[in-house]
Amino acid sequence: MGREDPELDFSFVLASSVHDMKNSLGMLLNTLADVMHEYPPQNDAHAKSYAVLEYEAARINSELIQLLSLYRLDHDKVRAHIDECIVADVLSEQVARNYALLQTRAIDLVLECDEALTGYFDCDLVGGVINNILVNCARYSKSKLKLSAEKTPEGVCITIEDDGPGYPEHMLNASTFSETKGSFAGGRPHLGLMFANRVALMHKSKSQQGFIRLNNESSLGGGCFKLFLP
Amino acid sequence: MSDNPYAKMQALIVDDFESFRITLSKMLQEFGVGSVDSVPSSNEALRYCNSKVYDIILCDQNLGKGKTGQQVLEVLRHKPNLNSDSLFLLVSAESNKSIIMAAYDYEPDAYLTKPITGQTLGQRLERLFKQRIALAPIYKALKERQLDVAVELCEAELKSATRYAGSCQKILGRVLLDLGEYEKAENLYRNILDARQLDWAMLGMAQAKKLQGDTLSAQQWLEEIIQFNPLCLKAYDLLADILAERADYQGQQKILQQAVDISPLSILRQQVLGDVGFKNNDLLTAANAYRKAVKLGENSCHDDVKFHESFAHAGIQLAKLDKNLASPFVRDALKVVSEIPLRFGKNNSSKVSSYLLESQLFSASGEERRAADSLISAQKIINSEESVSLELRIELVRALRELGKKEESEKIIAALLEEYADDEDQLQKIDCLLDEPCSAKNKALVAQINKNGISYYEAKDFSRAVDCFTSALQDFPQHIGLRLNLVQALMGQVKQEPGNNQLLTNMQQTMDYIRKIIPDKHAQYRRFRQLEDMLRAIASAKPAD
Repeated sequence: MGREDPELDFSFVLASSVHDMKNSLGMLLNTLADVMHEYPPQNDAHAKSYAVLEYEAARINSELIQLLSLYRLDHDKVRAHIDECIVADVLSEQVARNYALLQTRAIDLVLECDEALTGYFDCDLVGGVINNILVNCARYSKSKLKLSAEKTPEGVCITIEDDGPGYPEHMLNASTFSETKGSFAGGRPHLGLMFANRVALMHKSKSQQGFIRLNNESSLGGGCFKLFLP
Repeated sequence: MSDNPYAKMQALIVDDFESFRITLSKMLQEFGVGSVDSVPSSNEALRYCNSKVYDIILCDQNLGKGKTGQQVLEVLRHKPNLNSDSLFLLVSAESNKSIIMAAYDYEPDAYLTKPITGQTLGQRLERLFKQRIALAPIYKALKERQLDVAVELCEAELKSATRYAGSCQKILGRVLLDLGEYEKAENLYRNILDARQLDWAMLGMAQAKKLQGDTLSAQQWLEEIIQFNPLCLKAYDLLADILAERADYQGQQKILQQAVDISPLSILRQQVLGDVGFKNNDLLTAANAYRKAVKLGENSCHDDVKFHESFAHAGIQLAKLDKNLASPFVRDALKVVSEIPLRFGKNNSSKVSSYLLESQLFSASGEERRAADSLISAQKIINSEESVSLELRIELVRALRELGKKEESEKIIAALLEEYADDEDQLQKIDCLLDEPCSAKNKALVAQINKNGISYYEAKDFSRAVDCFTSALQDFPQHIGLRLNLVQALMGQVKQEPGNNQLLTNMQQTMDYIRKIIPDKHAQYRRFRQLEDMLRAIASAKPAD
């Protein structure tokens, strides 16, 4: 607020336009859903085009949300608003959000979570993280995704597994998603993981702090992402 | 599927974009919702809500002109009406709900972020209705004020650790506070807080402490919440209440100012900030806050003519201190008061009030001819009325005084004093026009203020002495003794803080004010002249900057 320096605050401009873009994209996604509903694909090529449109739009959307969240985290406009959440609700909401995407890509998603499992976290921020990883996994997995959650000594653990080629070696190292400039060296900044890491760190109990883990020991044979929330 | 629970339901969609209304309406129809209405504006939404009961209201936050979605909710929840219990889902493109919700007292049942898909909406509605059904007995008990029953039901829900246990914990805490079971409530909150810091539980703790009269502990909890979550506006409000109860109006103003900086859209908070700023004689703060309150009032069910009038008063008072600073406020206030009859009913008393304030505002901006015209318009109506309220006659005295019509105004005051000689309550209201108060209560109050102020002064605690005398200026603006005491306390403070120019300005403004109202024959006229000399000496000793 009240920035006195006369120079253009680029991050602010960026954040405002990201906000606008997100609104337009919302309309675009809805229109796209309407079009697909009214003109169901006639052949495989159609279906494929639809899938690409759907996926890319979803990806832009989740990236924009992330950018906005990162901007806000950075400017101290957002703090994790931590309260009790029903884990199954948060997970199924993200699945519903990506329903069309998963359908067009013919991905079979399994959700495994005790209906009564609760955790203490910011459901918007965590939902954003899950959405982002889901959208990303939808790209790399062949046909299966598994989203699950359980209680562990380190808190509630949310796991997203796929049957794709797995995370590349250099990403398995935890330092990839810490915010050093070096993480850009690989060509991709792994913004999603950086965001996930940020969100995890914002969750603290009296004695513990949240964290994320990546490995390639997915029960489906591909990559495995874990988010721990104390 | 033959007995689809949605079949009997009625839904309302509010969004200014047609394509969005169509999309949502299609989604709801696909779920099997029996009837779906859709409207583009808040006005139409409220009109529909006045004549029809909806089970579901899907409302966009940003509706262009008129009310926002949150303000529509505010109207629906503020007073009992057909749609007090409808499921209200607020839709927005904003992914961070705390930014929008921070400003308001009512929470929607759910908050949906665009883009909305049929799947997310369907899922959310299903969940909400499930929860409604599961918690229906508790809500029924709350509605019927059977609080003991509500407590039992909540405790049972907690024991069986259902998915609604979390919601029940919050309800239980509030009910226990309501029942006066403070220790039980404290235990509940303490158990939660032993595991982790949660702002609502800390807030509950603060409330429990406050209700038990332990305001110091309550204050500590609240300060901790504000540190932990600066967006928790309820904590600011409660803290402001505590400070007001303690008569620490400066502290109250500071906290409210912080809350308003975070969330400028809350009309109630702006109203209170205006009042406390006025009380603290911080007219700039008051004028700013009232101006916002008036503006926000356009779309709010909390609008009140009182704050339109207060805005004018703040402008008029400010003009007495600093014409330049006041001029934009005076200009705005002229517009605001001219619209009072339009907005609050074209009856004679609202017209008179509007003219009298207009007259004072014109006086404040130096437009005497127009001030006199407005006064004449007011007097015409007053003379045609059989009786005129005390409040309006007080306003009339003020308008006459601004125009320098001393004799006329004194005549009215004398008449008022005679008429209400035996009515302590009314006399208290008249005191704001008098040099020395006439009501027993205010006499005692002024004596007390003087006593406190002087004891601070003697202890060389000048800043508290200043606060003490300042606090009385709005209630007794004509009281010369209090103002002279203020000047003297300020002089003491200047000696302690020689670089503080603000004090000097304050002193000069106070003296200017006295100069305008003090009669030559006043008992304290000599003291006034002495203080004037002293002030001149201080001002000339100060190096020019």
